Amino acid sequence: MTPENLLLRPAYRQFCTLGCPILDALLGGGIPCNSITELVAESGCGKTQLALQLLFTAQLPRRLKGLAGSSLYLYSEFPFPYRRFDQLVESFRSSHPILFACCRDPRDYVFTRDCQTADDLLDVLLMLESRLKNAKETKLNIKLIVIDSIAALFRSEFENNAGDLKRRSSLFFKISSVLKSHAKRFGIAVVVTNQVVDLIDVNEGASGVRIGNLEGLYTSGRRVCPALGLSWANCINSRLFLSRQEVIDGEENELQNDNYSGFMNRRKRRELHVVFAPHLPYSSCEFVIRKDGVFGVDR
Amino acid sequence: MEVLRLPLSASHKGKLISAGYTSIASLSSLSPSHLAIELKISETDALEILKSVSDGIGLPSTSSSVTIVNGAQSAWDMLQEEETLVHITTSCADLDNILGGGISCKEVTEIGGVPGIGKTQLGIQLAVNVQIPYHYGGVGGKAIYVDTEGSFMVERALQIAEACGDDMAEYSRLYHKGPQACEVKMMQAKDFLENIFYFRVCSYTEQIALTNYLDKFITEHKDVKVVIIDSITFHFRQDFDDMALRTRVLGGIALNLMKLARKYGVAVVVLNQVTNKYSDGSFHLALALGDSWSHASTNRIILHWNGDERHAYIDKSPSLRSASAPYSVTSKGIRNLTSNKKRIKHM
Repeated sequence: MTPENLLLRPAYRQFCTLGCPILDALLGGGIPCNSITELVAESGCGKTQLALQLLFTAQLPRRLKGLAGSSLYLYSEFPFPYRRFDQLVESFRSSHPILFACCRDPRDYVFTRDCQTADDLLDVLLMLESRLKNAKETKLNIKLIVIDSIAALFRSEFENNAGDLKRRSSLFFKISSVLKSHAKRFGIAVVVTNQVVDLIDVNEGASGVRIGNLEGLYTSGRRVCPALGLSWANCINSRLFLSRQEVIDGEENELQNDNYSGFMNRRKRRELHVVFAPHLPYSSCEFVIRKDGVFGVDR
Repeated sequence: MEVLRLPLSASHKGKLISAGYTSIASLSSLSPSHLAIELKISETDALEILKSVSDGIGLPSTSSSVTIVNGAQSAWDMLQEEETLVHITTSCADLDNILGGGISCKEVTEIGGVPGIGKTQLGIQLAVNVQIPYHYGGVGGKAIYVDTEGSFMVERALQIAEACGDDMAEYSRLYHKGPQACEVKMMQAKDFLENIFYFRVCSYTEQIALTNYLDKFITEHKDVKVVIIDSITFHFRQDFDDMALRTRVLGGIALNLMKLARKYGVAVVVLNQVTNKYSDGSFHLALALGDSWSHASTNRIILHWNGDERHAYIDKSPSLRSASAPYSVTSKGIRNLTSNKKRIKHM
């Protein structure tokens, strides 16, 4: 055993761009390699949107802050979002016309696999090792693994009793350990999405335990906490929270146009928060989901 | 041959020499049972030999007491030793205050808390702070960082190291108040990183192997003054259906770490996760790895949220009173909380 020379490491530390300079700046360059990043949000906040976008940005060459590799998308929430995927392919192609001129289809560099159960996921990850080892032969130069979502696998299969909970947390640590060792050996960035659960009574039980920079996570006016509990929180390196809040715009407009008095322009305000990360302080920024992807809003 | 001058029987002298013990120094750190096995003599005889050896040396007069068993110390000696015990600052004055100056060398300190509370940040801070040279009030050592979770970020270490270097420059400027301040060789952030031996551990087998290997590593790198394990827990929360086995393995690791701390005078800092513990019909937070593990550390510090503030609480320590102090995690690293409230609370 020999210690690593830390001076040599910064050269290897890679970040995968999110395809938007504002979001990249928030995250200190993007999604870090050799590490597990969790995206947690209620449904419809943009977890899958961001995850799909990463599948493409990972293919960008190093000079465009990508990882110059292909990506693996393991999904447990059915069906696979084909239409949105195709939409993104088109916008991605049109934004990088030279890279993907004619012969190179970004779809060829995205691998997908469905996972029905947690054990299934573990098997896939274990079998992945031999393929990653011979990346040259298998042409499986995977640099990004997305699991969408981890929560779906665990929320149905397990009962709320001591035995199942123990089996569940043991599986968490196994999956996380395999992911981390792949991430370390092959320089892979791992993104995992997670769902939220409502917090009914803050004082009851241990689910109200504060984890990370925010006192509480609020989305759509409700207080929530990430699914899968404390032991899963120990398995990831960074946690990002996407929130959605309905806000009423245009109160100033109202004064200007009397015709429209009473009309309120409702819109969804989405925000990305850093809940915890070893390399980032707390920060947040607003983002929008457009036809061509997810983008940060500069204020 | 020194051995020949000892008041021993000829046969014992012969056995000693044929076993390779020619100098008194070679005998001074032996246990009687070990010697008995090696010379194939009875343990009483071996004890007799060792006694005459220690009489022969006429024990250096630093310790007033007679050493009965090798390695034994009187409480008075220990007290004196403790006064010279060095501490590694945490860079947070309040925290140093309740810890009696910082994380003490020669002891195992366990630090636990929920994800995102700043365990890794404190770990990186200590890996940097151990390198503060003597004339800046530091220890001037090197650090071993054992990363089991992959949370160590070089960028962050660099940031903390830069801030530490800046603080030292500031200090020397204030202290010398003259042009000679520039002459003091400054530590660059690069130097800090060079002195952190980083081990990334990917399975519990590796972790056990590394703990065993650390002894050898530290003999080769005597200037290592802190060993940080971030975290001890991660690999032991999977694949262990046999909890008794887990307890035994962890017990072995704990023993090894304690030995390292005593033998080389290094501070061993073990980071631990928290888990929900079910007792008396309700859940509450407790450090992971169970009750038997809680004996493994000399000091135990729990990091927790108190409203919007991060607090550190001394849960267990033989010498420190239980107290709690706030701290904050800034871009420069661990620092004091900047507020005017009364900060240290003794319990």
